[in-house]
Amino acid sequence: MFKKILIANRGEIALRITRACHELGVKVVAVYSEADRESLHVRFSDEDVCIGPPAAAESYLNIPRIMAAAEVTGVEAIHPGYGFLAENADFSEICTRSDIVFIGPTADQIRAMGDKATARAKMQELGVPTVPGSDGIVTDPDEAAALAAEIGFPVMVKASAGGGGKGMRVVPDAESFPRLFQAAKNEARAAFGDDDIYLEKCIVRPRHVEFQVFGDQHGKVVHLGERDCSIQRRHQKLVEEAPSPALTPELREAMGDAAVKAAAGIDYVGAGTVEFLLDSDGSFFFIEMNTRIQVEHPVTEVATGLDLVKEQIRVASGEPLSFPDEQCCLRGHVIEFRVNAEDPERNFAPSPGQITTFHPPGGPGVRLDTHVYAGYHVPQYYDSLLAKLIVSGNTREEAIVRARNALDSFVIEGVKTTIPFLADLTRNADFVSGNIDTHFVDTYMAERSATS
Amino acid sequence: MIDLSFLESLIQAIDRSSLDSIEIERGGTRIRLAKTPSVAMNGVAPAYAPMAQPAPVVSVPVAPAADAPAETVAEEPAQPQGNLIDVVCPMVGTFFRSPAPDAGPYVEVGSKVAKDDTLCIIEAMKLMNELESEVAGTIAEVCVQNADPVEYGQVLFRITPA
Repeated sequence: MFKKILIANRGEIALRITRACHELGVKVVAVYSEADRESLHVRFSDEDVCIGPPAAAESYLNIPRIMAAAEVTGVEAIHPGYGFLAENADFSEICTRSDIVFIGPTADQIRAMGDKATARAKMQELGVPTVPGSDGIVTDPDEAAALAAEIGFPVMVKASAGGGGKGMRVVPDAESFPRLFQAAKNEARAAFGDDDIYLEKCIVRPRHVEFQVFGDQHGKVVHLGERDCSIQRRHQKLVEEAPSPALTPELREAMGDAAVKAAAGIDYVGAGTVEFLLDSDGSFFFIEMNTRIQVEHPVTEVATGLDLVKEQIRVASGEPLSFPDEQCCLRGHVIEFRVNAEDPERNFAPSPGQITTFHPPGGPGVRLDTHVYAGYHVPQYYDSLLAKLIVSGNTREEAIVRARNALDSFVIEGVKTTIPFLADLTRNADFVSGNIDTHFVDTYMAERSATS
Repeated sequence: MIDLSFLESLIQAIDRSSLDSIEIERGGTRIRLAKTPSVAMNGVAPAYAPMAQPAPVVSVPVAPAADAPAETVAEEPAQPQGNLIDVVCPMVGTFFRSPAPDAGPYVEVGSKVAKDDTLCIIEAMKLMNELESEVAGTIAEVCVQNADPVEYGQVLFRITPA
């Protein structure tokens, strides 16, 4: 087991990792930007190093400064969290070359899954179902248009280097194809410096169902069940739950096996997530694999009773997977709500500022992962996530009632939050019936503005 | 003359409400109260300026000397103590006073330095980075010790400018 780990991240995930380290008896080095001087993860770490001014490029994304901090504090490993450098292959490689263990996959694995077109090709090779689409990158617009017609509209034009919903366009028909193809390319070039495009059939009412996978250095790969993340706004997840209301035990087995095949096929080590689109007829398709711990990992933790972050650290230090051998089971029902510092009344405009009052919900089946406290100043330089509220119950109905009570009693003042929006969501008939797909939030928002 | 207690209750009322501003005319006196807008969220705010709480600004036409409570201003980046200039570390690493272990230090207290003179070495990842002075002056303080780990923003020296 490591003696000291550096956390190359901030906010709630840095605090999460700090907790896991301390439970394992590992000392923690926090790095922080000047904007995060009063951050909880800094306060609760054993050592801390200021690595730059607030801008992420000068601090949390600054590899030389992070490596220098690792060097002066003598850490043996770095945990990159999620976002920032978590899926930066160069960073993974630099750590390894500096004799520091990167708590995550190898640079090759990051590259393989980071390039969406390559990942698709690899999955096809492994026999994992992928969304019908192009065989790799398409460069010629005419060729692409012909292929799109063959695949059948609507077609998605997607950036190979993409993520977070950028560099993507839904093309409804042949007429709009050339224009949207070019638009996607331009956006991809601007956002990622790479305008490689591939095509996928656009599945009309899909659910986004992802599987948590885990591999160790001894060749074992398992899956820990699914999370249904269909409730998204602009491709950003808002609510995640397990189990998925749409999965039968047979489907879970089939998708779980596909996820394990995907991870094992690249000798994956550590925590990862294989994302699928699930069509209403029960057919499922691989869309991407995330080679990091995810924001919504607590959903799986609560549903399985396992600690995924501690496991990441154990596996990185060479220990075999500690999960029980029998097929993972998801107990009860778990729902996570992401609370952001955004104003739902003003199109979710970011709302940084000073938190004056903070009263968290509690009681049975309520877990809150947050780095925020009364008096904390929410900086404007980073993402708007304030807290993750994870509720659980024996049934989905019980989890929803608990969620309502928890959201109704969760008080944050000083900044605008999405708590009221989420509280309303739990009262929506479609949400309650579980009858949702990835268009749910758009439809829901349209209805809300129509009636207001 | 304006009734102070009326003014106070007006301030409290606007504070409690979601109104941005209110203008009242009463007996020949016009009072306007406005909550100052919070700092723009376009990433232009200075270094780590804490967001100010909206502060009511009272402008009273008849008495030009308005009472404008100042917004809390950002803690100024360290430029303290009379006219001493802080030499601040621009990176993370280990601080070395001399070019080599057996050599004398680049500067001591009292050393005169010109602009671009080397003050020290910050070593990171086996690379030696020479830190050069931005000003001409005299070293007033050496704030860290040889081989100390140093972080971004840490004060290394204080210089009395020439």
